Amino acid sequence: MTTTTTTVTETVSLDKPLPKGRSLWQLSWMRLKKDPYAIACSVIILFYVVVALLSRLDLVGYPWDAKVGESYGRPDTSSFATFLGMDIFGRSVMYKTIYGLRIAMSIGLVTACIAVPLGASMGAIAGYYGGWIDEVFVWFYTTLSSIPDLLLLIAISYALGKGMTAMYVALISTSWIGIARVIRGEFIKHKEREYVVAADALGASDFSKIFKHILPNVSHFLILNFSMQFMSAIKAEVILTFLGVGIQGLPSWGNMIDDAKLELARGVWWQLTGATVAMFVIVLALNILGDSLRDALDPKIK
Amino acid sequence: MFTFLVRRIIGTIPIVFGVALVVFVLFNIVGGDPALMMVGKHATAQQIADIRREYGLDLPLPIQFLHYLRDIATFDFGRSYATRQKISDMIMNGVGPSLSLTLPAFMLTTVVSVLLGLVVSYFRGKIIDRVAVILCVIGMSISVLAYILFGQYYLAYDLRLFPISGYDYSLTGRFEYLALPILLWLFLSMGSEVRFFRTAILEETSQDYVRTARAKGVSEPRVFLKHVLKNSMVPIVTNVVLEIPLLVLGSFLFENFFGIPGLGSITIDALHNSDLPVIKTMAFVISLLLIFGNIMTDLIYALVDPRVKLS
Amino acid sequence: MELLYLMINPKHTRLVRSAFALSLGVSLLAFVGCTKKSDLDPTNTFYTSSIAKIKGLDPAFADDMYSGYEVTRIYEGLLQYKYLKRPYELEPCLAEAMPTISKDGKTYTFKLKKGVVFQDDKAFKATNGKGREVTAEDFVYSFKRLADPKLNSPMWWLFDGKIEGLNEWHDASAKAGKSDYAANISGLKAVDASTLQIKLKSRSYQFVYALAMPATTVVAKEVVEEYGAEFLNHPVGTGAFKLAEYNPSAKIVYVKSPSFRKEFYPSEGDAEDQAKGLLADAGKQLPLVDKVVMTVHVESQPQWLNFMQGNLDLAPIPKDNFAQAIDPKTKGLTEEMKKKNIQLFIEPSLDITHTSFNMTDPVVGKNKYLRQAISTAINTQEEIDLFYNGRAVSAQGPIPPGLAGYDPATKNPYKEYNLEKAKELLKKAGYPDGKGLAPLEYLSLADTTARQMTEYFQKAMTAIGIQVKVQTFSWPEFQQSLKNKKGQMWSFAWGADYPDAENFLQLFYSKNSSPGPNDANYDNPEFDKLYEKSLTMNDSPARTELYKKMAAIVIEDTPWAFGVHRLTYGLTHPWLKNYKPHEFNHGMAKYYRIDTNLRK
Repeated sequence: MTTTTTTVTETVSLDKPLPKGRSLWQLSWMRLKKDPYAIACSVIILFYVVVALLSRLDLVGYPWDAKVGESYGRPDTSSFATFLGMDIFGRSVMYKTIYGLRIAMSIGLVTACIAVPLGASMGAIAGYYGGWIDEVFVWFYTTLSSIPDLLLLIAISYALGKGMTAMYVALISTSWIGIARVIRGEFIKHKEREYVVAADALGASDFSKIFKHILPNVSHFLILNFSMQFMSAIKAEVILTFLGVGIQGLPSWGNMIDDAKLELARGVWWQLTGATVAMFVIVLALNILGDSLRDALDPKIK
Repeated sequence: MFTFLVRRIIGTIPIVFGVALVVFVLFNIVGGDPALMMVGKHATAQQIADIRREYGLDLPLPIQFLHYLRDIATFDFGRSYATRQKISDMIMNGVGPSLSLTLPAFMLTTVVSVLLGLVVSYFRGKIIDRVAVILCVIGMSISVLAYILFGQYYLAYDLRLFPISGYDYSLTGRFEYLALPILLWLFLSMGSEVRFFRTAILEETSQDYVRTARAKGVSEPRVFLKHVLKNSMVPIVTNVVLEIPLLVLGSFLFENFFGIPGLGSITIDALHNSDLPVIKTMAFVISLLLIFGNIMTDLIYALVDPRVKLS
Repeated sequence: MELLYLMINPKHTRLVRSAFALSLGVSLLAFVGCTKKSDLDPTNTFYTSSIAKIKGLDPAFADDMYSGYEVTRIYEGLLQYKYLKRPYELEPCLAEAMPTISKDGKTYTFKLKKGVVFQDDKAFKATNGKGREVTAEDFVYSFKRLADPKLNSPMWWLFDGKIEGLNEWHDASAKAGKSDYAANISGLKAVDASTLQIKLKSRSYQFVYALAMPATTVVAKEVVEEYGAEFLNHPVGTGAFKLAEYNPSAKIVYVKSPSFRKEFYPSEGDAEDQAKGLLADAGKQLPLVDKVVMTVHVESQPQWLNFMQGNLDLAPIPKDNFAQAIDPKTKGLTEEMKKKNIQLFIEPSLDITHTSFNMTDPVVGKNKYLRQAISTAINTQEEIDLFYNGRAVSAQGPIPPGLAGYDPATKNPYKEYNLEKAKELLKKAGYPDGKGLAPLEYLSLADTTARQMTEYFQKAMTAIGIQVKVQTFSWPEFQQSLKNKKGQMWSFAWGADYPDAENFLQLFYSKNSSPGPNDANYDNPEFDKLYEKSLTMNDSPARTELYKKMAAIVIEDTPWAFGVHRLTYGLTHPWLKNYKPHEFNHGMAKYYRIDTNLRK
């Protein structure tokens, strides 16, 4: 028994495009380390995470709902709170931007953390088992993706009431489809490969074949998709909140941009600027990092 | 080919059914009671009951769902609760404005992006390419709301280059009012489009036949125009075709901001009014267009790429 | 050619400025040659706008202000408001004179004007498309439509339970599943072609107002039957204008109706009207403009911009352009506006905003002191500054200024912003510093301003220790909660249907509880008794006293935290003459005149 197992591992390691496989990660890491853009973007993302954590601990940008100046006070570099000016109630736009950052990061993180594994396992199961499971699955995701995202998002947030939870559910329920589709396709390809056939011959369970053998081989898709989902969740929050079905009662970037709709005409540009610049930077960082990851992980390009 | 089409069309039935089911469940459970929206501010309980009966809202949900399926099968969608207009008329009236916005925007974006994609990939690795790629990423990272709000504010309000919003059915009016949204649309989508086309074209340039051609001493512009462009058309065309059916729908956000009375704004209005018949019809129409787009893409694939077989 | 002419709107011939539009616009050249002469003076046009899409032009469904404005350009009813007279007063429109009312106050007899005809339409088959004369039967028919259970008119409340036999007809029709318009109704009779008799179930002094509302204008049976469900898109009335171009979600164009009866500009007005030149056209045949163009601008920014560019003749000032229009120091127009000779009109609206407490709720509904504490903790003045640019007055009671029953001397003891007092009241309520009080559920709408106001309210409550849990809803969900008596508090507003304080006091009548207009579900037998008594009384000092008494009861009980009465700030361009703001601006475009020389 023991011997067999060893053989299996060896067969597998030999059979899957191994030296490439393992060194793909190492290689990728090497490539990434040499990419100054990727480093810079990682620093930015790390910075956002730190700010979000500090805000969660009420160490920075707190309290956001205190009056720090007059209604629509102009930006004033004398203090951190007034740096980006004041909103209609004289609250600090800087603090609100930071709070919005915290909300955006948690939405991005939660959505990506749930949607990607969920989509991946759904896609894996469908692709691996095929047959009627696959048919039902394909029907399900085609149906969901045939309903416009916005309509679906609005309906779900109506159903669950507004707030963070509704937002998470809504975003997750629309964003798992993309990765599920990709993983399903990969599984259909991979399950015929020799290493899987070999594992099968040696009596590996379905579970272990799916999660121990095939999934690691397609995991670079997950990483890429993670950064993409993170980004689109942030973007979606802003649009949904703007349309009145998102976060309520808390300063989010969407709410700030919504306020700005009425403020621009009176020359109050700082709230829009604060929210859009903060959002731009993180989305840009995620975009570039995503590109770098793709370049690093995909040996074909380069 | 014919059997392929027939099979695909039959294959849409379960999907349309699925969409109908999801939309029905979601909007009959949530989003308010349409009877309350119709009854006005001096409502009485009796009047609400009257309306429920008149519109069949008092029937059990499964029966109502069957009615919905019947409406879909007969293409008879009835009248809007909120505007009391025929839904088919509303859609017909909305398609024009939606297309006036999306068609020129889409064509302009595609042409500009393909051209830029060509230029950029021709200068691959050079400074132009690098700057362009960075600009693309920057463009993609700006929120659509920021584009619209800043565009409306600076270009229309401040500089008065465009009307802020609105729509006019006359030809001149259309051009005047839609110029800004089309321009913003172009900037908004150019980033990802150029990048996409660049990748598609570059993928071709690394093919063997390109190397062969180069080795044979064919000049670089010639390689590019004769071989690369032709072959990279496959992904480009399929990408483009997939979007065409969606153009009919206009754009929720653009129509909302610019007051364009297209299908997007009709849908949003319906959501705000619990206008169930309109919501259901729009969901159905949209899903149909999406499915149609998918079939078209498959067809085009087969037409431009002989390796793909329709089976 | 009419249509082509309309397409070359003079406003659009100016250079299309963007290069982009130019490049696409070459095909325009084809159209330029087509401008054709018309017998209408193109510059003699009144350009107006609506902030909401129009729901179609069927009077029976004109339950919102904006549809009401449009419907009454074409349709007319028995009565109308005097254009210049304040306080508001009715005058005959299609009726020859004000009705004669029987001694018991229940029977109203109207004599109709002779020779009033509908506009031409192919539906009038008997007369080959020529509009026929309006008869009393037409009114009977039009009123029955409001009661038709097949139509479900949202304006049925005007007659519901008021006219003898009409409810019976409604019920019978509902039962039969078919409405028999030929059936006789005892309370609604065409005595002869030009005499209409209406019998009420009980005396009502507010009833006449119903007859000046857009919903009770007269429609022709032939037209309704000809177009069926499409009737709302084929308006044929007796009014000063008829339809020329129609897209209810974008633009409606009306032209002077050639068959309009002889009606003349009013010659009675006070000294102020005289001074403002509002009587210059006295005695002139109406309408004074040849055309009315109404554009829909669902956002206030484009509406404002179009006004500033001179494409609209009048516009309200959006909250965010207030600083551009009004000088905060002088409270008058800014230099920019003065230079353009723009006129400012300030008119108090007959309305009230309020925070309703759900009186059926075991917490807020049963604890008067809690409600009073909440009301006292709201800084209305700051709200007025933040959200209304000072364009509102703090509401002390339920009756807005301008109506009999409003008492300027009334000081609501729970409207003075006083945190100490609020805390004391909260203690009296049994929740010292908010202790023991579960977070209160506040329903809010999701739009920008509502969201900001809710945040403000939340902050105000935190100051006295009350936690507020906000539920944000779309309009349909909000309605659903209210009509099902869910939620503890919410914000709402009421605009007058007619100029009588009764329209505001009925909001507290227990029989009007949700789903009716009494959204607070206030139920006080003492108030009900006074209200019912007031209904049987003529406009008199005694009734006014009664109104004040009712207001005092409501103020003490605080089923609402009263908000504000808004002021409407409107601007007009100098070329728009004879404009006087009117709360019930129905069909009044016929009085406006355009000084075509001033309009460039």
